[in-house]
Amino acid sequence: MLEKFSNEKITSDLLPQAFGRRGKIWTASLLAICAIGLFAYIQQLRKGLVVTNMGDYVSWGIYISNFVFFVAISLVGSLITAIFRLANIHWSTSLTRIAEIIAVSAITFASLIIIVDMGRPERLLNLFTHGRIQSPIMWDVIVISTYFVISLLLLYLPLLPDIKIIIEAKNKLGKPFTKLYKWLGSFWRGNVAQEKISNRSITTLCIIIIPVAFCIHTVTSWLFATTYRPGWDSTNFGAYFISGAFLVGAGGVVVAMYVFRRVYHLQHYITELHFDKMGKVVVMLALLYLYFNVNEYLVPAFKMKKPEEEHLTGLFAGEFAALFWFAILVGMIIPILVLVFPKGRKPLPMFIAGVMVVVGAWFKRYLIVTPTLLHPFLPKADAPARYSHYFPSWYEWAIAMGSLAGVLLIITFFARIFPIIPIHETITEQNEAAQHV
Amino acid sequence: MKQHNMYKIIILLVFSFGITAVKLQAQDSTAPATILALRYFLPANKLPYLEVSTKKKNGRKLEPVKAIPVNVYLGEVNETNLLGKTITGAEGLGRIIIPPSFKAVWDTTNSLHFLAVSEPVKGEEDMTADITIKKAILVIDTLSVEGVRTVTAILKEKSGSDWIPVKDIEMKLSIKRSLGNLTVGEAETYTADSTGLASAAFIKDSMPADKAGNIVLVASVEDNDDYGNLAVEKHVSWGKPVISTQNNFWHRSLWSTGNRAPFWLLIIALSIIGGVWGVIIYLITQIIKIKKLGKEPAGQKWDKKQINQSGTIPALN
Repeated sequence: MLEKFSNEKITSDLLPQAFGRRGKIWTASLLAICAIGLFAYIQQLRKGLVVTNMGDYVSWGIYISNFVFFVAISLVGSLITAIFRLANIHWSTSLTRIAEIIAVSAITFASLIIIVDMGRPERLLNLFTHGRIQSPIMWDVIVISTYFVISLLLLYLPLLPDIKIIIEAKNKLGKPFTKLYKWLGSFWRGNVAQEKISNRSITTLCIIIIPVAFCIHTVTSWLFATTYRPGWDSTNFGAYFISGAFLVGAGGVVVAMYVFRRVYHLQHYITELHFDKMGKVVVMLALLYLYFNVNEYLVPAFKMKKPEEEHLTGLFAGEFAALFWFAILVGMIIPILVLVFPKGRKPLPMFIAGVMVVVGAWFKRYLIVTPTLLHPFLPKADAPARYSHYFPSWYEWAIAMGSLAGVLLIITFFARIFPIIPIHETITEQNEAAQHV
Repeated sequence: MKQHNMYKIIILLVFSFGITAVKLQAQDSTAPATILALRYFLPANKLPYLEVSTKKKNGRKLEPVKAIPVNVYLGEVNETNLLGKTITGAEGLGRIIIPPSFKAVWDTTNSLHFLAVSEPVKGEEDMTADITIKKAILVIDTLSVEGVRTVTAILKEKSGSDWIPVKDIEMKLSIKRSLGNLTVGEAETYTADSTGLASAAFIKDSMPADKAGNIVLVASVEDNDDYGNLAVEKHVSWGKPVISTQNNFWHRSLWSTGNRAPFWLLIIALSIIGGVWGVIIYLITQIIKIKKLGKEPAGQKWDKKQINQSGTIPALN
């Protein structure tokens, strides 16, 4: 699958590299966006949620849209790492760490954005002291923290052999982060006993992460589906959310593949074959998600029950029509049309399609959360006109963009400190392939 | 022509004067005075009391005036006649229960004269109000003849040592409910006949009651100039017994508080959480084990063959 390289070359190619000029500008930009987001959040803490444009009708705005988006994209860790590993699919080895760091960073900010959405964040503690196990919100808190820990373990355990390689290559890398490497993995000798325990633990993690990953997004969908509201009152929601999550996760991996390939010159490790395979995966997932969308919108539209009518008309031809059709076309249909042809599965078109999937998915989450809230079953008699419209305030935009930048910042720092493509596994697989030949 | 103009000036002056006078009068009337009122109550099974109210006219509405101290006397203003002191609340109302020390006076007289005097407070002058009440009692009774149930009531006025029925009195005959009273028949009020008897057929025979079918009938006279407000009650088993519906409030359910979650949910949820976190804890112990193995010389616990098979990454050897 890969070109035959010496072990030294593989190690040298895949070791983490210091930021170049572009890397520094990129990191500084992300830090600046995060700082603006942090400033906006401090203002929100001081003045209260009144700085947002949320109100009595739209109580879940851009923050919860972002939360659903982060939870969705985090699901990719279980797809690329666990499902592909258990299915003995070896081409995905180069992509496992990219998928895992996307999962860890996204789930970290999913947890944080929920706290941002709370007017009184110190009351989060009450959820643990007075929580109701009957509430889907409680299930979400439990499953998110569980998924975070499992994802972290799944990132850490396969990293141990690579940390040893980094420590041994310190002459090449210089001193930065030496203490961190030693603290994290100086005990790894790579002996049979350690390898055996590590492999068994990784397999266990791969098995356990799949149901937990399904739970995390099913439970998130139940936050909506257990509420009797137009657009949310659906038995389809769990499967609809999971299929969408796999799609956006795969789209995110495609974008990251392209960027890392170009920035770190990894053309020999993330090859056109990887793009071709991932392209096929994205097409399959987009078709699956499209199928669930047809179910989700066409069936209620066929019946057009009175409470659903205003909501669906708003999506198809009303206030949200432009966003809705953008999300459907750009997030699903155009990527399918591009990637279904072999020429479309080349790196650049794949990158463009991946960006479309991710951007479309973000707007899709916004459309799931907000329009429903604008149409309550029992509208207030004296509700002001502004209740019937929602557009986030600059505080909300700044915090939301800050959280997105935060996810990218974690991935960026991770790629600076650790190998973004597993070195040990790449060498092992190459050696095994050579022996097999 | 000059004379004509003069008439015009005179008429104009008269009108101007008239308009000014009307305006001044109107200005005076826009500063309404507080009204003090006094009412007498003899409720069922309770001590008689007096209620004072202080209100002020604002447009067409009467608005309460609070924090007005009022003294109420039986007869003339005299320390010995003082029934009590009250200060009107947010609703502009104050209540004084007639103290037992006035029992002797109460028993010997047939007519009672009450006087309320307010104390001057900031922005309010002192006010007085009085009422004269003829002492009376209200009696309620029921009849049941050939399945027809009737509620009757008589207002009796004290005359000397006797109690004489009063005729032509408007009274209400009703059933006591949680948030108010329902009339027993179709009419709102019933008038006492020449014998002083007011009666109404009881037609609401399916009225929800307690477990034994008990309901409370109420006869009342309201805001009568001579007798004030009187009420009397009687318990009868004319209602429809309510079969107690099962109260699920304290039961374990999906909608109860966290400490009353259903057992099946607790078992399922805690089993899943325990199972998954058990695996996580196991995996953390495995990492600790890997760490311990790393601190020992490589492959110390393994035989030589295994040691030879083990080793570091070929690239770095």
